[in-house]
Amino acid sequence: MKTFKISALVLFLCTSSASLFAQTADEIISKYITTIGGAEKLKALKSVKMEMVTNAQGMEIPVEIFQEKGGKMAVKLNFQGKEITQMASDGETMWSTNFMTMKAEKMDAETTANAKLSSEDFPEPFLDYKSKGYSAEFMGKETKEGTECYKIKFTKKPIMVNGVKSDDVSYYFFETENNLPIAAETEIKQGPAKGQKSTSTMSDYQEVDGIFFPFSMNQGGQEMKVKKITLNPTLDSKIYAFPAQ
Amino acid sequence: MWVACIGILSATNALAQDKIVLKGKELFGDIQARHLGPALMSGRITDLEVHPTNNKIIYTGTAGGGVWKSNDGGASFNPIFDEHIQSIGCVTIDPSKPDQNIWVGTGETWTRNSVSMGDGIYKSTDGGQNWKNMGLPKSDRISSIVVDPKNSDIVWVGVLGALWGDSDERGIYKTTDGGNTWNKVLFVDNKTGCSDLIIDPKNSAIMYASFWEFRRTGWSFSSGGTKSALYKSVDGGKTWNKIHTGFPAGQLGRIAIAVAPSNSNILYSVLETEKPELNGLYRSDDAGANWKHLNNDFGLVVRPFYFSRITVDPKNPEIVVKGGLSGSISRDGGKTFKNLGNMHSDIHDIVFDINDSNRMYCGTDGGVYRSWDGANTMEMVSNIPVSQFYHVSIDDKEPFNVYGGLQDNGSWYGPSKSPGGIESRDWTRIGQGDGFRVIKHPTKNIIYSEMQGAENVWRYNTDTQELITIQPLAVKGDPKLRFNWNAPMEISKKQADRFYMGSQFVHKSEDMGRTWTKISPDLTTNDASKYNTEKSGGLSVDNSGAEKHCTIFTIAESPLNEKVIWAGTDDGNVQVTKDGGKTWTNVVANIAGLPKNTWCYHIEASTFGEGTAYAVFEGHAKNDYTPYTYKTTDFGKTWKSIITSDVDGFVRNIQEDFTNENLLFLGTEKGLYITIDGGANWSHFTNKMPSVAVHYMELSTKTNSLVMATHGRGVIILDDITPLRQISQDVLAKDVHFFDLKPAVIEEQSSFGTTATELEFVGNNPSSSAQIIYYLKKRHTLGKMDLEIQDEQGNKIVSLPAGKQKGINVVAWDYNMKNPKIASGKTVSFAGFTSPRVQEGNYKVVMTKGKDTYTHTFKVLNDPKSSISAADRGKQKETTRELFNKNEELAYAVYEIDETVKLLDQLIAKNKGFAKNGTKIKTDFENVKAKMVVTTGDAYVASAEPQLREKLGELYASIASNFTAPSPSQLENKESIMQRFDSEMKDFKTVKTKNEATYLKQAKEQNIPFVLKTFAEFISE
Repeated sequence: MKTFKISALVLFLCTSSASLFAQTADEIISKYITTIGGAEKLKALKSVKMEMVTNAQGMEIPVEIFQEKGGKMAVKLNFQGKEITQMASDGETMWSTNFMTMKAEKMDAETTANAKLSSEDFPEPFLDYKSKGYSAEFMGKETKEGTECYKIKFTKKPIMVNGVKSDDVSYYFFETENNLPIAAETEIKQGPAKGQKSTSTMSDYQEVDGIFFPFSMNQGGQEMKVKKITLNPTLDSKIYAFPAQ
Repeated sequence: MWVACIGILSATNALAQDKIVLKGKELFGDIQARHLGPALMSGRITDLEVHPTNNKIIYTGTAGGGVWKSNDGGASFNPIFDEHIQSIGCVTIDPSKPDQNIWVGTGETWTRNSVSMGDGIYKSTDGGQNWKNMGLPKSDRISSIVVDPKNSDIVWVGVLGALWGDSDERGIYKTTDGGNTWNKVLFVDNKTGCSDLIIDPKNSAIMYASFWEFRRTGWSFSSGGTKSALYKSVDGGKTWNKIHTGFPAGQLGRIAIAVAPSNSNILYSVLETEKPELNGLYRSDDAGANWKHLNNDFGLVVRPFYFSRITVDPKNPEIVVKGGLSGSISRDGGKTFKNLGNMHSDIHDIVFDINDSNRMYCGTDGGVYRSWDGANTMEMVSNIPVSQFYHVSIDDKEPFNVYGGLQDNGSWYGPSKSPGGIESRDWTRIGQGDGFRVIKHPTKNIIYSEMQGAENVWRYNTDTQELITIQPLAVKGDPKLRFNWNAPMEISKKQADRFYMGSQFVHKSEDMGRTWTKISPDLTTNDASKYNTEKSGGLSVDNSGAEKHCTIFTIAESPLNEKVIWAGTDDGNVQVTKDGGKTWTNVVANIAGLPKNTWCYHIEASTFGEGTAYAVFEGHAKNDYTPYTYKTTDFGKTWKSIITSDVDGFVRNIQEDFTNENLLFLGTEKGLYITIDGGANWSHFTNKMPSVAVHYMELSTKTNSLVMATHGRGVIILDDITPLRQISQDVLAKDVHFFDLKPAVIEEQSSFGTTATELEFVGNNPSSSAQIIYYLKKRHTLGKMDLEIQDEQGNKIVSLPAGKQKGINVVAWDYNMKNPKIASGKTVSFAGFTSPRVQEGNYKVVMTKGKDTYTHTFKVLNDPKSSISAADRGKQKETTRELFNKNEELAYAVYEIDETVKLLDQLIAKNKGFAKNGTKIKTDFENVKAKMVVTTGDAYVASAEPQLREKLGELYASIASNFTAPSPSQLENKESIMQRFDSEMKDFKTVKTKNEATYLKQAKEQNIPFVLKTFAEFISE
């Protein structure tokens, strides 16, 4: 079944790329939205649960990611038999677990405020991006991952970095052959590598109930591999909230 | 529709029958360059630029290492311009969009002999993340960029222009559309360029521009002429008038100009004139209408071509600083000066902090320095590895050492690998002055090094620290020996003690430099008009020896026949002898298409044939930036050009692979190029490899590492070029191809780190993991792809993240197996991060891509330098596995307890009648668990008393991390832990046996399902 659906995607890409030479950011983005399932299906999404495994040098840790509209999110690790919420937000309060004490601690105000600026990103930042106050610019073609890509400069709302306002710019690389993003670059804003680029790559696109997701993401050699995606699962909103102490 | 698509697919296949040519990023994939630095001596800084409102942000342009940005007030810098030419004239921030628009003018303007060139002006609109070339391709060197403070689209550019020849592309250019189009608004002549362009900070209609008549050749330098002048415009650059009232008449040289930001009527200028007593600082208090000569101290007049920057304190117009040998500061409006604090000599630029004038930054020949006390005390920035190597050599030690000399920073050697990374303290100095070539004796612990013009050639014994000077000296009847600034030295592959040097003659020593014989006549053109350097410099004499010409520059003895020696000269001769120097033939005339007198920069004698050699030439000193590279197979009788239009930037070096004659590496002024087909196609290698000038390369026969001396980014290494050696049309046509590599070695090494702080540069070590390297014909984007390691029997060891790009992918495996499942407790157990290591043997990598499977077998070896016996390794493996299993058994027991306790909680809640008994059972289980794992405390200083898990985990981790057998002490410890293990498990079983029937009955009655995972399910989840 899955094989068939991938073939269907290939077919779609094949036919559409023959008729269209995407040259503007809007064309590339709207084609991307159509390719992964269409705006209607995306807008109907209320929540997503992703069961994943991180793999760093063969050491695998199960991770569950929950996302909902309104900036609600939770990243849970299953670690030595314990469920640890590595990071979560109910849209207002962002928090994490201290690995020394295993207690929940709130993130610093700046990080929380910056995250809130992206609270409308679910399920897809590119969907209706203009109404979110974002902008996109086509920067030309560039070779990434050895293959020809469209480069899109994607600017979100400015964030604060140590008290100073800073542009939130990412560059997305859409493989020209299939119009799917296969790499993204962002400037590292803090820490010893500040000012340099951080690159992540996306691959293994597969379909779940009519929507395509990258089932593998890699950042600096550490892979996040998706095992299962559930659309609109029934979730207890407690998972997002900072626990009462 | 399907048919159409299949049609397209088969059309693509048909095309694929032609030769597959992959260039650059399509091919090289994950093969990445590794930077060794060092940063301890850093390198030449050309320009500094501070953000107008945020004093955390500083940019610096460098002579050969690109542009660097600090986001932390100059504590550290990071490179942001790696994809473009690395020689920088100036960096300018757009005052109205300082976080977005950054302009870079390429081409250094401190025009020393070794200066590189630029290729235009660049703009970033995202604070330096991405750059676009905005034109002025022949500008060669850009001194200044001024952005209209009110309109980002209006920009004026001061173009100094070509150094080595006439050029029309110089003067002042203006754009009104953000750099898409340019108009020349002031041009003097094709020898005179704009050396400074500034704007009145209070009135953007007022501008000042200095023009400089200058020229360099391979053998001379000239600064000054009647066209040098200082101009002013009061109408936004439309019209320009000279402002020389108070300046001496006659020729002028390089003119520095600055306006005081706090009072724009006050200008400072430094002049180079015909009369030394009139050189130095001039001041105007009426915006340039009149000038007064104030000072001609050494610090103000020294080497105007190299130092011509004046900076005025933004708050106090009387505090003025001038770049120079030491740098000078005046606090009385320029009447008197004192030196700046101690730092590396040769200060090219100085900037003040926008808020606190005591905070200052200086750019020197040895990096950026910062001061908090008005430049009295200077501290070096320790993470800018822009060292300018002229040459590199390696030895045959493991790990190998690299040796080389640097512009104004002596000669050094350091390791290619060091525990935790290669840091400053790993480097050892091995020469003074400017350093050039450094070579280790092939067998003895002796190093040869030199300083400029072979003024000293040193022989240093690293065992005894004996240091002697051994440069060839003139003997009776000799003319004056002419050694190049960067004089050639070479050792023989056949005779370990043989040592060659070149002046205009080839000198040979058979006793490590104690006795010298000339084995050639003057091999140069011996053109006396090109070696009178006493008067070089123009208005200011500058006879440093840097312009010494008609010299031998490269010597190469054939690795196959020691009688065959090549010599190339800076005035364009290629000479060869087949009889050890008795007779020489000049074969340069056999090279068709090479302009006369083009500098022969390197000759590579081939390992594939006595008569085979490569010669590279560069004509930049004649204003010719064409790449020239030729190959001969018949001792120079005929030559074939192996350059293509792929290559950008003139060539300085070529390195031949020693197993595949078609694999060649080319060092150009804009980086590294590689061919896999003998020069039919070249690819620019850009993975972590900046577009930096590569002056010299060496290929290790032991490790297949390509080691590059870059003139601006230190030593850079490609660790293993083996995959490139194996690429053929057959390989490129396959969907997936695994490369055969040398066996992977499980290295036994210290895990201790460096002493470096986060503000210091530390060079990366080579990977010590097994490398799995494969080629993919197409990027994997759709559908599943997995990669796993299996043993020879096909049992899975571990999954690894697969590389999915088109071209070469590198996946690293650190020899680890799956980590143990650890019992759940209050804290995280670090034993859970410790994986057992595999043993020496054969392993398989299995790639699954859609429905297809690809397999490759590779070998893993133990560290050959290890003294650990196979029996001891066996014991380590056995004990590690035993403890691993015990950890997992314990984890399962704790899992059982946790699940049972959860069940009991439910039962107690549901059935009050069971509460008392249930609580007792629960307490019994919890008491057992409390001895098995810590259930309180934290992972730091509030930690609980360690329990079984902690003790078992700790012993497991320490034995698993070792290579040798467990010690008797560890085994005794194990015995005691095992005793406790058995006892806790017994207690657990007792509680379980006693109560199981009770709670299972309750569960059944209450209809609460209770199913435990099996042990196998539990550990595999």
